[in-house]
Amino acid sequence: MPDFINRLRWGLLALGCPAPRVHRLVREVADHREDLVEAALAEGWSKAEAEVQAEVRLGNPQQLAEDLMVSQRRASWCGRHRFLAFGVLPLLTFPLLWALILCLNLALGFALGFGWSHSRLRDAADNPTTFHYLAIMVNSAAYVAMAVVAGLFCRLAGRSAAGRSWMWLAGLICTAHSLFIHTYFSPHNFAMTISSQPQWIQTLIPLLIFGLAYWNQRRQVRRALKFAVA
Amino acid sequence: MRKTNPSFLNGVPELLVLRLLSRGEMYGYQIVEEIRAQSGGALSFGEGCIYPYLHHLETEKFVSSARRQVEGRSRNYYQLTSRGQNRLRELSTEWQRVNTGVALLMGEQYA
Repeated sequence: MPDFINRLRWGLLALGCPAPRVHRLVREVADHREDLVEAALAEGWSKAEAEVQAEVRLGNPQQLAEDLMVSQRRASWCGRHRFLAFGVLPLLTFPLLWALILCLNLALGFALGFGWSHSRLRDAADNPTTFHYLAIMVNSAAYVAMAVVAGLFCRLAGRSAAGRSWMWLAGLICTAHSLFIHTYFSPHNFAMTISSQPQWIQTLIPLLIFGLAYWNQRRQVRRALKFAVA
Repeated sequence: MRKTNPSFLNGVPELLVLRLLSRGEMYGYQIVEEIRAQSGGALSFGEGCIYPYLHHLETEKFVSSARRQVEGRSRNYYQLTSRGQNRLRELSTEWQRVNTGVALLMGEQYA
């Protein structure tokens, strides 16, 4: 594999481009380089001169990697509006998702024949056993929402080629959010509040997910580099 | 009055690529060369920078791609989908609207 292509691969990985996308971009740029070489050969240049010309037209591999990342970002909304996408949206997504999961839980209860009626819900809240299950449902909805939000923003950061720093910003916001968001639940009343008491257990969820995403990225980079050297 | 789509200028490369692909399937190098040739050299993509746009169009299902071997060379060929044809119609209408507005504003000497 030409040195130019290896340097491009390394440049893209260093800029935080996801490994599967690097693989595809590199393959297509390698095809493009070959086309440029063929065009130069057709104009009567020697093989060595044609390769030099192709690489001159493609430019510095590091610069090309940066241009590719910029184009990649411009191609998606999240890439163009990174502050909104990774700085603001995680805050808004979590309560919406939490409410949606609760609604889905109630719909599931309805489908299983527990019913929706106010009197049945009130009876369930007054009964300690069913209240215990309702409490599990409300808390687990919050945990699932946190996990989904963290996973979603990890994935969006990868897909939009926003880079690791934006992924970490989303991770930081999700973690801070889950540290102080408290799901309050008592018979006949539940609410999502901001609490000064840190919620350590639920904070572990986004930390774990962003940690796993980082570990996965590192693993993909190591695999891609091994492939490049081979 | 309808507001001008603020991201419309971001959509110009998309319009050009979709327009070219409406004439038949092409690969990346061919698209870059066609844009350069057909615009008389006035427009050009940076070499290699076409690919992120093509991948985005593919994610949006406006184009589809397939790796094929033609005359001994294996390349990714891109083809317009029916969704892409609709998108091309939308972008063309928007382009004509903007173009007419700009031409009116600039006056005859720039037309």
